[in-house]
Amino acid sequence: MGIHGLSKVIGDNAHEAIKEDDIKNYFGRKVAIDASMSIYQFMIAVRQQDGQLLQNEHGETTSHLMGMFYRTLRMVDNGIKPVYVFDGKPPTLKSGELAKRTQKRKEANASREEAEELGDTEAIDKFNRRTVKVTPEHNAECKKLLKLLGIPYVEAPCEAEAQCAALAKAGKVYAAGSEDMDTLTFGSPILLRHLTFSEAKKMPISEISLRKTLDGLGFTKEEFIDLCILLGCDYCDSIKNIGPTRALALIREHKNIETILKNLDTKRYPIPEHWPYKDARELFLNPDVIDPETIEIKWESPDVEGLVDFLVRDKGFSEERVRKGCERLEKNLKTATQGRLDSFFTVTSSPNKRKADEAAGGKGKKATPAKGKSTGGGRGRPRK
Amino acid sequence: MLEARLQTGALLKKVLEAIKELISDANFDCSDNGIALQAMDNSHVALVALLLRHDGFEPYRCDRSLALGVNLTSLSKVLRCAGNEDIITLKADDTADVLSLTFENTDNDRISEYELKLMDIDSEHLGIPDTSYDAVVQMSSAEFLRICRDLQVLSDSVQIDVTKEGVKFAAKGELGSGAVTLKQSGNVDKEEEATLIELQQNVSLNFSLKYLVNFTKATPLSSRVSLSMSSEVPLLVEYKMEAGYIRYYLAPKIGEDN
Repeated sequence: MGIHGLSKVIGDNAHEAIKEDDIKNYFGRKVAIDASMSIYQFMIAVRQQDGQLLQNEHGETTSHLMGMFYRTLRMVDNGIKPVYVFDGKPPTLKSGELAKRTQKRKEANASREEAEELGDTEAIDKFNRRTVKVTPEHNAECKKLLKLLGIPYVEAPCEAEAQCAALAKAGKVYAAGSEDMDTLTFGSPILLRHLTFSEAKKMPISEISLRKTLDGLGFTKEEFIDLCILLGCDYCDSIKNIGPTRALALIREHKNIETILKNLDTKRYPIPEHWPYKDARELFLNPDVIDPETIEIKWESPDVEGLVDFLVRDKGFSEERVRKGCERLEKNLKTATQGRLDSFFTVTSSPNKRKADEAAGGKGKKATPAKGKSTGGGRGRPRK
Repeated sequence: MLEARLQTGALLKKVLEAIKELISDANFDCSDNGIALQAMDNSHVALVALLLRHDGFEPYRCDRSLALGVNLTSLSKVLRCAGNEDIITLKADDTADVLSLTFENTDNDRISEYELKLMDIDSEHLGIPDTSYDAVVQMSSAEFLRICRDLQVLSDSVQIDVTKEGVKFAAKGELGSGAVTLKQSGNVDKEEEATLIELQQNVSLNFSLKYLVNFTKATPLSSRVSLSMSSEVPLLVEYKMEAGYIRYYLAPKIGEDN
């Protein structure tokens, strides 16, 4: 899913592009969230202790609503203003990928049955999670929930990531929130990961900047897209035997896939028979999205009674919790948002000289520490 | 290389206390002018600008500008090993990986030496435009500390209104509301406690009390504090020292506009 191994490539070659930060530092930020992916995530992660999906008394699944409700509240509590984006029709190029996923789900189903026969509960649970499928009903229920919560959502004509990226690019939102790395490939200036994770995971938000990624890799946007295609995206196969290292080296040397193909030893690296890399590139460059300027995003007060009706009566949520949640939503909507200095003062110079010297001179001894392990949330790295 | 000797070591300890809560790592930019530091907190809401001028040290020597990246918590821990009466000397080579600190106690001839590992810190330097503020309030720093602490009981934000008559700090929260007004006073007898207002235009602004309380950690550095405000620009809170200053900037809270 997304781009195969891209986060590792960025981490290894442009680590300054990835920044980790607490969710509380994103107050006041508007973020476009890939709803379809989040719902899928909730269905996998929001479960009972025995690994079963949450259900109401009629046996209807409620994991997606539970996830949507509480994780949205968590963001709002931290001052984030989410706008959800739903997938539309998948692009025709994705049919191959989708078929693969269906196949995998089938296999998981078979494996689960096998595990059930053997009575291996751990394996049952594992394969159970792999058979998850988000139905249109789930999506419709989530939209209903969002409407009642007063949280805006957008229905993308095609891929949700692409629409998120378009919103971020147009400055309608600060960033796109998704786990899929191809949001970057679609041109989102900033990608936030782990935004819809549970509080209990204590996972910091990982913020990836497209500009710093391109600077760090020394690539143009087009070269970056070609790199992503080589790494493996949802829209076409990748070339066999080309991994991240080789993909990077090939783009560095030849700049684009056309030139690479001219120079590639096709015996060692067999090119897929039908390889629509040009179409995939076109899809990344000009995805099918609604013009962000025509989208109006507005956060409104929650419809408390409507929510109680829907969540408590239909879905068996606790009334007290739903009402409390509404209070929190209402409160956060009203309070003034804290401004940021960035909007008043301008950055005059960035990294200090020592670093620049180091980058120019002794490349070998650059001490890159293990990511995300610096103590106390500091941004510094030990000099030795 | 840098060599700076500070007669009253307590000053450095107080400076660290005043900034370490807000910022975890920062570069001390040393030049022939003195030692400066500028850094924003993680969420980019507040900024600290510190200057320790060269004439505050005796002697002070810095041939070439250098940035000493320091973890402030670690530095403050090391400084805790210095006595209040100690003379502190800071030293660093141009290519050094460490900052050396020497604490001398003249009374009992005790000398302690410490070395602190330096860090590479990516810091974004912000250009702060020269602003002529609509209102500048000068007041007792202890009074400011008290007001911030008192109002924090009620709310996490405070509204500051400045008029010709005086300055009013007001907070409203779930359990009630409260306000403290200080009148412009020409009390010549108690210069330290007087509230002085220079006003071009009335202002009314909202700020986070959590940050203001954090700023008041600088209270031991100066008996006076000045608050400079204009509509819709960051507040400047300044504590002047004998040879230098510590300035805090705080972005205002902005009403809802969606």
